[in-house]
Amino acid sequence: MKRAYNSIKVATVINTSSLPDIVFLMLFFFMVTAVIKEDTEHLDAKIPEAVSITKAQQKVLVKELIIGYPKDKLLGKEPRIYNGEKIVSINQIPQWVEQKRNELAEHHRDQMIVMIRADEEIEMGLISDIQQELRKMNARKILYKSKEETTSSSHLQ
Amino acid sequence: MKKTPKQIEVNTGSMADIAFLLLIFFLVSTTILQHRGVSIKLPPDAKNQPIHQVHDRNLFKILINANNELLVEDKVWDDIAGLKKEVKAFIMNVNGDLNLSESPEDAIVSLKTSRGTNYKTFIAVLDELKAAYYEIYAERVNLTSKEFRSLDLDKIEQKEVYNRARRGVPMNISLAEPTI
Repeated sequence: MKRAYNSIKVATVINTSSLPDIVFLMLFFFMVTAVIKEDTEHLDAKIPEAVSITKAQQKVLVKELIIGYPKDKLLGKEPRIYNGEKIVSINQIPQWVEQKRNELAEHHRDQMIVMIRADEEIEMGLISDIQQELRKMNARKILYKSKEETTSSSHLQ
Repeated sequence: MKKTPKQIEVNTGSMADIAFLLLIFFLVSTTILQHRGVSIKLPPDAKNQPIHQVHDRNLFKILINANNELLVEDKVWDDIAGLKKEVKAFIMNVNGDLNLSESPEDAIVSLKTSRGTNYKTFIAVLDELKAAYYEIYAERVNLTSKEFRSLDLDKIEQKEVYNRARRGVPMNISLAEPTI
């Protein structure tokens, strides 16, 4: 028996019923791996640009301090310090260092890195006062958060 | 149980679209947290710290005032970009100049700001100083500055390169307490 195969027309249908499954898998992957952006709503901090940037080797060691101007007008116009949970004053910093240090594993405690995310317009007096507190607490590894420079223009205005 | 003659079918064709929408939302809204910046190590607490006498030729003084103007080695300076070259020449002192450092090990770069200095200017100057050191290190092991900075210190071979580059040239950047 011989059939004329070329005469038969077959409409090809791709089965897409498993497509949602694949997409959902990807969705779950992104949902699980994504770190929810930390709440920094209270302060405005536009970080400066730099060239000689290094990356912190271990993310667990990094603890962040944000120094910026309040978005909420009720807080005034003076720069404030935010530790990721609440707005703190300079003399509360030692306590914060102690608390963050205790969160780390024992063999990591002396390697804590304090990342300072400060606004470009902040005056060095405030930064230096914070650093004095950090020195007192022996938290001396500092990372000034900055982004990769995009323009190669001179820095002086 | 009653056997239904006709099976009800739910149309799941738009499921993929919904899932895609959600996926795109998460892709756009999440930012990967990055811990990148200019690193420095502060000196120990000022109390009970020995005072070192530093020969003047081994000290490279940079002062920034409240108007963000620079004073480098007692001379007014108006271009931050040129600072890197000057610092490199000071640290290495290839020609044995008597006004520059005795050896890379003795060289100290001192950065002093005023309380009114902008953080931006401070970072820009500090960045130049770090860049100067990184370029010296990178040249010693035939890498580019960027390659040197991205060495992974958890890997033994890369750590070895890193140590080789830094041997004998400590990064002596001193941040002085600001004046009013």
